[in-house]
Amino acid sequence: MNLRLELTRFLNLCFALASAFMFWKGLSIVTDSHSPIVVVLSGSMEPAFQRGDILFLWNRNALNKVGDVVVYEVEGKEIPIVHRVLREHVDEKSGKQLLLTKGDNNAGNDIPLYARRKVYLQKDRDIVGTVKGYIPQLGYVTIWISENKYAKAGLMGLIGLSALLSNE
Amino acid sequence: MFSLSQRFQHVSNQALSFAIFAAAFVVASTWVQLYRDNVFSLNSSIGNVNPHINVRTSRYYGSVNGKPKENIRLSFDLDADLTPLFNWNTKQIFAFVTATYDGKLKNGVKSEVTFWDTIITDKAEAHITLENLKSKYSVWDLEEKLSERDLTFHLHWNIQPWIGTLIYGKTTGQTIVGIPERKVPSKNQNKSTSESR
Repeated sequence: MNLRLELTRFLNLCFALASAFMFWKGLSIVTDSHSPIVVVLSGSMEPAFQRGDILFLWNRNALNKVGDVVVYEVEGKEIPIVHRVLREHVDEKSGKQLLLTKGDNNAGNDIPLYARRKVYLQKDRDIVGTVKGYIPQLGYVTIWISENKYAKAGLMGLIGLSALLSNE
Repeated sequence: MFSLSQRFQHVSNQALSFAIFAAAFVVASTWVQLYRDNVFSLNSSIGNVNPHINVRTSRYYGSVNGKPKENIRLSFDLDADLTPLFNWNTKQIFAFVTATYDGKLKNGVKSEVTFWDTIITDKAEAHITLENLKSKYSVWDLEEKLSERDLTFHLHWNIQPWIGTLIYGKTTGQTIVGIPERKVPSKNQNKSTSESR
């Protein structure tokens, strides 16, 4: 066992993890969104988006338009929601915009989903991003990993094994 | 030299770069096709707009603390041919009728609201000709009243692709409708006339 070789391998693993993290954070800065790529978890936007679809977000727009598909977060709830803008009201003096959203596959609007006593979303505060691009189904891998404990352990094992076996 | 992990890295790198090129090609050719089909200047007509004004006091109809809020429903005619929006990379069309209007009490407030929308997944159903169509949503404003102002109606569309970018557009037709004052319920009217006699 060569200590220098082991340390180099460890450094390589760190390098891979750090570059992945840098890529993610860099994308965050470019798009001005804290999670620029999201995976759809519910069927409320079917048939446009199904569970497992990957969405690319952009959040540098000052205002949203009616018809935009936005991702928003509600205070006190962890899971971001992907729905379509049904109404927008913008105050051109202050630049503040209020939005009402609805899932294509839902019967009613989202008021019951919003934080207590809220009847609108605020563009600058609640919106994580606007959906610009779409890849079907590929995100199912992440759903599978996050919802299946064996898959998670297996993936971790695989990463560890490949780090140990790689000898450059 | 050639280990299994290196081989795996090589193959996955190639697969990833090919996928990126393929996706870029799909997105670019979709846009080219849409411009060639002239989809950004499709015509539409919205006519025979009849507003029905109601006052609601439920939170789910825009009322805050039980204060009455004017809600508007419509019936209207719609004619538009969205068939050119369907090509090999079209999964669905989301078509929606919106109205834009200015705030009345506060200057500089601009609003756009959806009255009706539909999802079209089949090219054969993309030619919309509907008469006396009921609006899907009961619409209210930030202000108490939505009546007594001009609403400008447009038909918009959104293409959801099989893969690639979401594409938005607006048809060229435009209809401006002045919403009349809400008629006072007939009960009060009778009362006032009887008093004046």
